[in-house]
Amino acid sequence: MGATPDRRRRECSAGLVLGAGFLVSACGGPQSALDPAGEEAAEIAHLFWVMLAGAGLVWALVVGAAVFGGRFQRQPISDRAGLRLILWSGAFAPTLILAGLLIYGLRLMPVLRAAEPALRIEISAEQYWWRITYVGAGDVRIETANELRLPAGRAAELTLDSVDVIHSLWIPSLGGKMDMIPGRTNRLVLRPQRPGTYRGVCAEFCGTAHALMAFPVEVMPPADFDAWLVRQAAPATPGGDEAAFLANGCGGCHTVRGTAATGTIGPDLTHLAGRSSLGAGLMPNTPGNRRRFVADVERLKPGVRMPSFGMLAPAELDAILAYMESLR
Amino acid sequence: MRIVVTGRRLLLGLAVLGGAGLLLAWSGIVNIGASTGHWQITNWALHWGMRNYVRTYAWFEPEPPADLDAERLVRRAAGHFETGCAFCHGSPLMPTPVEARHMTPPPPRLTGSADKWTPRELSRIVGHGVKYTGMPAWPARGRADEVWAMVGFLRALPQMTPERYRALAFGPAVSGDPVLEACARCHGQDGGAAGGAFPVIGGQSETYLAATLRAFREGRRHGGFMQLAVERLTDEDVSRLARHYAERPGLSDSLPSGTGEAAGIARNGLPQADVPACESCHGASARRNPAIPRLAGQDAGYLAAQLRLMRQKARGGSAHAPIMQKIAERLPEDSLDPLAAFYAGTGR
Repeated sequence: MGATPDRRRRECSAGLVLGAGFLVSACGGPQSALDPAGEEAAEIAHLFWVMLAGAGLVWALVVGAAVFGGRFQRQPISDRAGLRLILWSGAFAPTLILAGLLIYGLRLMPVLRAAEPALRIEISAEQYWWRITYVGAGDVRIETANELRLPAGRAAELTLDSVDVIHSLWIPSLGGKMDMIPGRTNRLVLRPQRPGTYRGVCAEFCGTAHALMAFPVEVMPPADFDAWLVRQAAPATPGGDEAAFLANGCGGCHTVRGTAATGTIGPDLTHLAGRSSLGAGLMPNTPGNRRRFVADVERLKPGVRMPSFGMLAPAELDAILAYMESLR
Repeated sequence: MRIVVTGRRLLLGLAVLGGAGLLLAWSGIVNIGASTGHWQITNWALHWGMRNYVRTYAWFEPEPPADLDAERLVRRAAGHFETGCAFCHGSPLMPTPVEARHMTPPPPRLTGSADKWTPRELSRIVGHGVKYTGMPAWPARGRADEVWAMVGFLRALPQMTPERYRALAFGPAVSGDPVLEACARCHGQDGGAAGGAFPVIGGQSETYLAATLRAFREGRRHGGFMQLAVERLTDEDVSRLARHYAERPGLSDSLPSGTGEAAGIARNGLPQADVPACESCHGASARRNPAIPRLAGQDAGYLAAQLRLMRQKARGGSAHAPIMQKIAERLPEDSLDPLAAFYAGTGR
């Protein structure tokens, strides 16, 4: 009762502006299907806008007809005219509109299933991280984890599978989502265009740490990518002392290529310190976060397969972290 | 005169009775001193109730293990019986001690208990104790294996000569070191397995031994035998004992020879089950963390039992134990015994 109509209108418009602000803020950023950075995402975004426009048009027509019928058309129309209205706008028009949109949508399918690109990347999902293997010419395999790098302007074929439960890979800025199913290999071809850092996520509930299973995606100029891949292919050049790393069994699960650490259970750590994030997109890859991760991973990532190593003597932990820091 | 029982009078009567009971308890007139013992009828009623309880709850006890009467179980429990039971119940070497004879109820001699009770009834009594009698529950609730060892010992007790009891419950004399002598009653001076009764601790990593003793002392590792044995050890005792047994011959961290499936797990793990190679932590790699135990030469029965306890989350242990617990949970059940045999050097 207290609020005058004027004041109420002001509050209402303020709310609208605020709400719209929130909505629009979700349209950009590293993880938005509405801000495409690759051909597939652009096609999907285009499809979305066309569908939205079509839906808007249909909505306007239906609401318009209802307003017209309720406000302006005071006289009942004849049975014949009513039947004709139902036939045209209830049967023919929806069929035509939906068929048009369907054909438009299906048109995208061949684009999303392009022929064999030169770059193939195998991504295997595990609770709760990503094993990423670049397969080059001559079947050269370069394994890394939890960070995807792609050359801008070149097509890359991702082959996706899972070792435990169903996961789903989605990089909204670059393309649609694709399920990762144990015992089945799915293909996803991406042609990123705009260099930048994007974010991929697991888009199918996969367990307790599902929401903490993501990865950064770096789209690079092709020359930079090639140089990066050459560096990735090289074995580690650790500067620190690997003794503490090996003595505490880290090498039982993790590989550091070129050293005695040859475990295949967890992520390859050969060039760990060169990655931007830690723990599958969990947090920035800083020395402090690495310490937290090693010491307390079970609390940071519920259900994680790795044990926490917080019981190690501080000097022992320091030695392991110094070694990890040197894995550039 | 006739008294008509109405609901109101009944309630009133009950209230008066309850009040009188409270008054009696409050007054402190009831003599619960142990000096006078029980009346015959009280004694009978209490024992009747206790026997009924044991009989009923024994139904919920698991089946006894097949090796219940094995010598190694008798041996395993003998030292603990001397330390934890004999001071109330007496032993083949000793009549019921005088203090225990002045308890109400007096603790029974156990020489005949195996005739009175079935193995599952004994397991119930040993595992859970008996309220109002002074009989304690087993200190480690998840250690049914220890309770069964004690049941096995109780079954051997009636036929046990004093000489045999002395041989089982007391080890070699260690002059000048009563603390080591107490350990040596079971573990000997060299920390050997004594036919599978005990883990091999000779040659074990000193750091691991000390951490384990502290974990037992602080109740982080669960075991009725050891928790009682180490309860009063000082930090100096712990260091000295760990050093003593670490310097004895026994365990090593060299990989046993063998080619079977267990050897494969030890060397390479089971990557598809997320099990890393045992050797990646326990082996003689660049510089094995001394807090991680040596396995080669360990008793197979002990190793398999520890893996099973870890899978049941009943073992506890030092601060490093959660690492192994996580891995033990992933080991296939049918790989536990072969793995234990492999590290014991008795596998094929």
